Amino acid sequence: MPGRSVSLLLIGGLRGQRPSLRLPLAASTVAAGFPSPADDYIDVGIDLNEALIRHPSSTFFLRVSGDSMIDAGIQHGDLLVVDRSLEPRPGLIVVAVLDGAFTLKRLVRCHGRLRLEAANSAYPPLELHQCGDVQIWGVAIHVIHALTRHG
Amino acid sequence: MADVLALIDANNFYAACEQAFDPALIGRPVVVLSNNDGCVVSRSSEARQLGIGMGKPYFQIAAQLAQHGVVVRSSNYALYGDMSQRLMSSLEPFVAELEVYSIDEAFARLPRPRHGDLSAWAGELRSRIRHNLGLPIAIGLASSKVLAKLANRIAKGDRRHAGVFDLGREANPDPWLELTPVEEIWGVGRQLGRWCRLRGIANARQLRDMASGELRAKAGVVGLRLQLELQGVSCLPLEHGPSAKRETCVSRSFSRPITDAGELRQAMATYVVRAAEKLRRQQQCSGRLTVFARTSPFSPGFYSQAAGTTLPVASNDTAVLLQAALPLVTRIYRPHKRFAKAGVLLQDLQSQEQLQHHLLAPLPEAEQQRRAALMQRIDGLNRRYGQGTVQWAACGLTPGWMMRREQLSRASTTRLADLPTAWAR
Repeated sequence: MPGRSVSLLLIGGLRGQRPSLRLPLAASTVAAGFPSPADDYIDVGIDLNEALIRHPSSTFFLRVSGDSMIDAGIQHGDLLVVDRSLEPRPGLIVVAVLDGAFTLKRLVRCHGRLRLEAANSAYPPLELHQCGDVQIWGVAIHVIHALTRHG
Repeated sequence: MADVLALIDANNFYAACEQAFDPALIGRPVVVLSNNDGCVVSRSSEARQLGIGMGKPYFQIAAQLAQHGVVVRSSNYALYGDMSQRLMSSLEPFVAELEVYSIDEAFARLPRPRHGDLSAWAGELRSRIRHNLGLPIAIGLASSKVLAKLANRIAKGDRRHAGVFDLGREANPDPWLELTPVEEIWGVGRQLGRWCRLRGIANARQLRDMASGELRAKAGVVGLRLQLELQGVSCLPLEHGPSAKRETCVSRSFSRPITDAGELRQAMATYVVRAAEKLRRQQQCSGRLTVFARTSPFSPGFYSQAAGTTLPVASNDTAVLLQAALPLVTRIYRPHKRFAKAGVLLQDLQSQEQLQHHLLAPLPEAEQQRRAALMQRIDGLNRRYGQGTVQWAACGLTPGWMMRREQLSRASTTRLADLPTAWAR
């Protein structure tokens, strides 16, 4: 089940002490004699946590439910990587706290006003100045979509 | 300029963690209960304002909580532990040195700027932690650890300080020290507190100014150090890194009394399994194992017993530790006793590496490595898929004595199956 192991790797490695899958970029098979000239260039491997997450202590994972962000490439059941330390700026996809729930929208500036838009024409935009107390909880930085059933 | 010591801690840490991952709780009163849903150990500021007391037994106030619509949660240590790590690593870049003191507080050292004013630094730190983790923190600043702790208490005690109090900037610290009851000073235990009161010493200022000979006679060097710290002379250094643990203990109260020997064995086996896991995480082995059990000290016929054994070779193999522990349970068990709590204590801890080539090793090296690999696999599975995914048969399958955590929230930050939902609707 290759898909499954990949998604577990992403969750697990955040705190550094969990096992993370290291894929060697190069490996020398020379057992004796001359050292391989490539030995100096061997990298430790690729750690997706390191590659995808700049601020581990403020980065969290959420599970997407619903289809309102489908045109932004975010589908039902996807894994969302959210960095709370980033400033929400227009154009970014954000997790907002609306009516006591985490809600995924794109923050947009329209005619000088901020609003939250879905990425699906079936859902109307929300004007921020009309909906009282909205808190932006974090900024979505990656979405991980499984391509196999086991993902 | 001289360095400043800070005590930084999260306000209502457990309740704040609950609110950070359940947006439905924002602005609502929340309380978190201790083990076995016993009593209130953390209250959100909304719950505090309702006048819900700290440490109140849950069963006494359950009706009152329901009436006020207070959200009640069991302690979710997976969540709090993860958030604690995030908090501490977020503090690190802001200070020169950090000592993690408990799950939600840390001492820190930082240089005082030329102009002396740290309020901009403190404000930035507070808003950063609030923004990035959703946690409110309080900061006490002073020239010693004891005073920093005292300043932190002042910072939290009065809204006007906005969570920050810098005792080092006060021309006269005396009124602030007078505000602090002697028992509330960090390092003053119940006994020393009572002794002070008997001598008419009621607050921190009085303790600072009392004759040091008298204090020395009572509390020795520790007392003198405390007094110096109160005078602003730093004598307690920041402690670095967790010093290698000398012993590890796992013990819990049962959700209901246990009278059956089999059940006591199962409970003990469960604690041994947890303790062995802890050892392996610390890369240590234990040379001595003690099991203990007691009945409730509040009911008649109090009974408490312990039994220990020394292992031929120190180990962190669950099977080896179980083999040593289970026969001991028979020795401490007494029929008709209603056991309320039990635990296991692992002592004589030694680092795993030192032991690898032991002459007396009971197993050949290849076999040892296989056992170690097996333990690693089990730990890995339990970490990934949740405690108890791979279970030892000795622990039993459906323990009725398990700690009660009826209102447990999800492990929102540490388990894939428990992630919060981002609604796209």
